[in-house]
Amino acid sequence: MKTFRHFYNRLLEAIAAILIVAVTAIVTAGFVFRWSGHSLVWYDEVAAISLAWLTYYAGALAALRGAHIGFAGFVNSLPAQWRVAATLFSSAVTIFFFALLTWTGFEVVKILKGDTLVSIPEVSLQITQSVIPIASAMFVLAELLRLPDLLEEARRGPLVDHEIQEALEHGKIAAREHRK
Amino acid sequence: MNGTIIFMLIGMAALVMVNVPIAVALGVVAVAAIWIAQGSHMLPNAALVMFEGATNFPLLAVPLFVFAGGIMNASSIARRLINLATAILGFIRGGLSMVTVGASMFFAEISGSAVADVAALGTLLIPAMKERGYSKEFAAAVTSSSASLAIIIPPSIPMILYAAMAQESAVKLFIAGIIPGVLGGLGLMALCYYYAWKYNFPVEQKFQLTRLGTALKEGAWALVMPIVILGGIFGGFVTATEGAALAVVVALFIALFIYRDIDMKSLYTACIDSAIQTAVVMLLVAASALVGVFLTESQLPQKLATAMVTLTSNPYMVLLLLNIFFLVLGMFLHSAAAIILTVPIVLPLIHQVGIDPIHFGLVLTLNLAIGQQTPPVASVLIASCSIAKSDIWATTRANLGFIGVLVGVLMLCSYVPWLSLVLIQMFYG
Repeated sequence: MKTFRHFYNRLLEAIAAILIVAVTAIVTAGFVFRWSGHSLVWYDEVAAISLAWLTYYAGALAALRGAHIGFAGFVNSLPAQWRVAATLFSSAVTIFFFALLTWTGFEVVKILKGDTLVSIPEVSLQITQSVIPIASAMFVLAELLRLPDLLEEARRGPLVDHEIQEALEHGKIAAREHRK
Repeated sequence: MNGTIIFMLIGMAALVMVNVPIAVALGVVAVAAIWIAQGSHMLPNAALVMFEGATNFPLLAVPLFVFAGGIMNASSIARRLINLATAILGFIRGGLSMVTVGASMFFAEISGSAVADVAALGTLLIPAMKERGYSKEFAAAVTSSSASLAIIIPPSIPMILYAAMAQESAVKLFIAGIIPGVLGGLGLMALCYYYAWKYNFPVEQKFQLTRLGTALKEGAWALVMPIVILGGIFGGFVTATEGAALAVVVALFIALFIYRDIDMKSLYTACIDSAIQTAVVMLLVAASALVGVFLTESQLPQKLATAMVTLTSNPYMVLLLLNIFFLVLGMFLHSAAAIILTVPIVLPLIHQVGIDPIHFGLVLTLNLAIGQQTPPVASVLIASCSIAKSDIWATTRANLGFIGVLVGVLMLCSYVPWLSLVLIQMFYG
């Protein structure tokens, strides 16, 4: 299980890194071509779609790391067994929602057969919209893989804020480099 | 429709209380509302709206500014900025605390994330302050407050979010933040000076032109960044989104070819962190688009605005009430979530009573900056306390003076709109 989670984390990281580089490259290209007097006709449409892809694929990675914004204050004030129950319920709701998006996303992809991007007619809308069902299914898998650790964390004590935890880890590494 | 809206509000509050991610809570209640009001055959609309909601073009600036900040964090920019600020301010009593404020203001120009600022600067400055005899609570408090002030200094992710939700210009919001940001920074420094005399904090070093020259030389490229980015945006050469891409390109150039202190592993980590931070915010935006469909159909924001105007149509009273509302909200809600959830609801009221939406955007951002300092949900304060290893409530007591300065700036900006709007009038006529 841990090996698979590690592999899955690596896979999602690679997708997220490629997408952020792609977004940067698209916007930079749009800017450079606009300045050279040869604006890219597909720039606005493709850039906006790349943001949606980044949102959902990196969203699955954020789920695996427990980085989505929530309010743990009330749950953290509960006794351990209630904290675990609330955590289980919260995960179930999240899995249900993204499972629903997977299903409705596939329905939309089927409906869009034959439709294409306005600026690049060669690209089917089925490809661009595929992000919703695929990334939602990946989100569900991420949530399931994180669940055992999350329940253990809830059993042990208050749930931690992962945004702060990760920022501090980076800060510590930078400070160590500085001292060197 | 009113029954559906009440169901959505209660359902959402209940889900958020049990720690369901806010984006999911928004999505679940909206999907349930679609099911109840329109039937299950309309559910595929949810997938369509969630996709459209994430294709908000102006928000492309979010991943790019966050990525630029990540590159800066991974390189030696923070250390160089601290050295420069120390060379300028180190000769004043309590100079190290002023260095914290000054470095935060410089750093804000680049990163746009208060938690990232605290982590990057705090890990260097808080231990240094503790070594020099500052209490750990004071060190945490000054670091936390100055990082929060940074979110009103451009480029600012909350401002970009507000601009997208309110369909206003992000560039105008950036300009509106300049004077209040400088005022707040000077206010925090003045308070540091007062505390330095009161607690007899040390002078770091004598002022030396040669030291300043060396620090300037080492940090010159770090200073070029905000000049290029903000100069490009304010000069009208690039849009906010293009300015963000420019920030990434310049940051990469400096880190890879000038300072040569970033390795591929750190760069890869910066890519991933930026992607995650973007996804967290953008998923909220996409889910809020689902709820937005119901808000539009129900006319709830307009009805609330009309009800509010029957109580008072005085813009200053409305601002006072909204300030109280947002200060309380900021105690419990992350700033991105607060903006995404509330802006569509309060905006009709702002227009109806004649408040400038850019002015309001700045006031809202300042409120949320203060919210980052007030527990229980105070991500910036908590990050700062973790570094200082100080108690959150003891740090909050030490932080009261700094919060007072931020509230003072909020009051000034709320009731003297000129402060935030004068530069816009100068730029845009």
